[in-house]
Amino acid sequence: MNRRNLTLIMENKPGALARVVGLFHQRGYNIESLHVDSIEDISKYHFIEEELDIKFAPFEISKLTIQTKVSDSLMLQILRQINKLIDVIAVSNEESTYLKGVLINENIL
Amino acid sequence: MAEKIKLSGGDMLMRSLHEEGVDIIFGYPGGAALHIYDALFNQDKIDHILVRHEQGATHAADGYARATGKPGVVLVTSGPGATNAITGIGTAFMDSIPMVVISGQVASHLIGTDAFQETDMIGISRPIVKHSYTVFNAEDIPKIIKEAFYVATSGRPGPVVIDIPKDMTAPDILFDYEYPKTINLRSYNPPVIPESNQIERAVDAIITSEKPVIYAGGGAIASNAEDELFALNEIMDAPVTNTLMGLGIYPATHERFLGMLGMHGTYQANMAMHNADLIIAIGARFDDRITNAPSKFSPQAKIIHLDVDHSSVSKIIGADIAVFGQVKNSLDLIIKELKNKINEYDKNKLGPWHDQIANWKADHGLDYELYKDASDTKPILPQAVVQHVYNITNGDAFVTSDVGQHQMFAAQYYHFDKPRRWINSGGLGTMGFGLPAALGVKLAYRDEEVVCITGEGSIQMCIQELSTCLQYNLPIKIININNEALGMVKQWQDMNYGGRHSQSTYQNSLPDFVKLTEAYGHVGIKIEKNSELQTKLEEAFSIKDKLVFVDVYVDPSEHVYPMLVAGESLKDMWLKKDKKT
Ligand SMILES: Cc1ncc(C[n+]2csc(CCOP(=O)(O)OP(=O)(O)O)c2C)c(N)n1
Ligand SMILES: [Mg+2]
Repeated sequence: MNRRNLTLIMENKPGALARVVGLFHQRGYNIESLHVDSIEDISKYHFIEEELDIKFAPFEISKLTIQTKVSDSLMLQILRQINKLIDVIAVSNEESTYLKGVLINENIL
Repeated sequence: MAEKIKLSGGDMLMRSLHEEGVDIIFGYPGGAALHIYDALFNQDKIDHILVRHEQGATHAADGYARATGKPGVVLVTSGPGATNAITGIGTAFMDSIPMVVISGQVASHLIGTDAFQETDMIGISRPIVKHSYTVFNAEDIPKIIKEAFYVATSGRPGPVVIDIPKDMTAPDILFDYEYPKTINLRSYNPPVIPESNQIERAVDAIITSEKPVIYAGGGAIASNAEDELFALNEIMDAPVTNTLMGLGIYPATHERFLGMLGMHGTYQANMAMHNADLIIAIGARFDDRITNAPSKFSPQAKIIHLDVDHSSVSKIIGADIAVFGQVKNSLDLIIKELKNKINEYDKNKLGPWHDQIANWKADHGLDYELYKDASDTKPILPQAVVQHVYNITNGDAFVTSDVGQHQMFAAQYYHFDKPRRWINSGGLGTMGFGLPAALGVKLAYRDEEVVCITGEGSIQMCIQELSTCLQYNLPIKIININNEALGMVKQWQDMNYGGRHSQSTYQNSLPDFVKLTEAYGHVGIKIEKNSELQTKLEEAFSIKDKLVFVDVYVDPSEHVYPMLVAGESLKDMWLKKDKKT
């Protein structure tokens, strides 16, 4: 079991965080650290806007970082489960990213 | 340009549902939902079915959705209304059934104050919904309804909850109403398009395989892929097995059909899966009732997995070739590619494989002629009951079921040739599902035969819906396979707990189901003798305009076989009480 870092970009809406956290809790994974910020300066995420042909307004999206201990084999499953959540725009671990359902083999967040 | 109309939140809700093509809602009123119920009263586009328990509403909407492919719609009040709906939401979630559940909530200013009938419905339902919404602004109602139906029905379908605080539907506060034409759900994954190189790899694997098996599940039904699956196998000529959720997606009477696989699958289906060199999984998720011990699952098979949900693939059994997308589209692409390479495909090479399967079937296949022995020296066999029902209904009924031995006998002995005819709770295994689900199906197809094959345990979990069936004149047929026990529990106790029947029998406390049915205004028929089984069942089905409850007393010692030996592979099965493979 290694400590693994996950980064998410998601809609800044009530309930979105609870859905993410619930996935961990249901599977018995402990969260070692968690941080959420709503994003004012969205310029950092222009690449997502371009990739998906959408526009973000300030504070419309949040960045979430989670550190958890899981086996490597379960990492991809967690990534896929998070990717399935309706409010999640992108999620990455150290080596890959799901950007609105498309798997990219690097961490672009 | 047309002037915008002004509507209350409740009226906007009704209008929006109508715009989504909803013509029927299953529900139960209460304080927090009364504005909505008044809006319902004031329109005539949408019918409402008043159930007798909110669990019944969710299962009825679910049955309606499974039979029609359209989303089921539920309306309940806050607090106990909402919590009563939870089992049905969980049932729909586990089987990926499109459903929209609207729950009333206490007024916004009361939320968080432990108000009367306040419950955190969004919190309680979170792990068993595809998504959920709270209405914070009444003007968002049309947009939320539009999104909710899109989310519930697209991709891998599932239930969506919309919680509506009472003040959002107040009759005297009006808003400009316009139903949105487009959806802007930028964070929701769009439909997935299958990758062409995966299609090519899949076809190459099909061409080289000598022992293929097609394993199709509920996802293939959700995707309406029956024609594509049939067309693919017209070319491939492979053996086909279906999961409990997939029955009907491939005609059960086709000579290539192996029967159901898994825990109570046929011998030939489980043996074929275990010995295959290629498994084509289509909208099936390798759950634990299918794989037995994953480490021992089908040791030589290459796996092609077609699914719309990324998280279902390589979750339990690693896929060698993963084809993401609606399985209907993926199958279409595979057919096209296989046709391009048709001179490389020789279906005759499957001959020895078919011979092997025929031998397995001859050795330990199910006996579909059990019903022919009508002598009174023997108790009624539950399997024979299902066989008679199959014969009498010409294999063409919608059959709902509950959970237990009767469910497995129904799945094994009723041969479904069409999808959406076999309606059962596969994933959650919810006792109480059968009767309300049958009610939902009958409302969708009034001219079709709808049968609920149930057990005396399960039927008592939602028996109050007999009253709903009278109110709406729903002449379904209920076949109660009465073994005077929680038979499936008892079977496990026989097999694994030294026959200690802890809390699995009722000690002569069962109601008289005939009188009970009559009290509800329907017809009850009791069958106790083997020699009367066929005639009395025929009599029941000859009554067209009334609900008939047939209480059949069957052999209580009967077990469901085959049954996988726990912790082993798919080739390890109990075939009888004293015989293992
Ligand atoms: C709501 C619910 N509670 C408990 C169970 C566990 N369970 C599975 S089968 C079964 C027995 C069902 O009895 P009955 O409906 O009479 O069917 P039989 O097995 O006797 O055919 C039970 C209790 C369940 N599936 N659902
Ligand atoms: Mg029983």
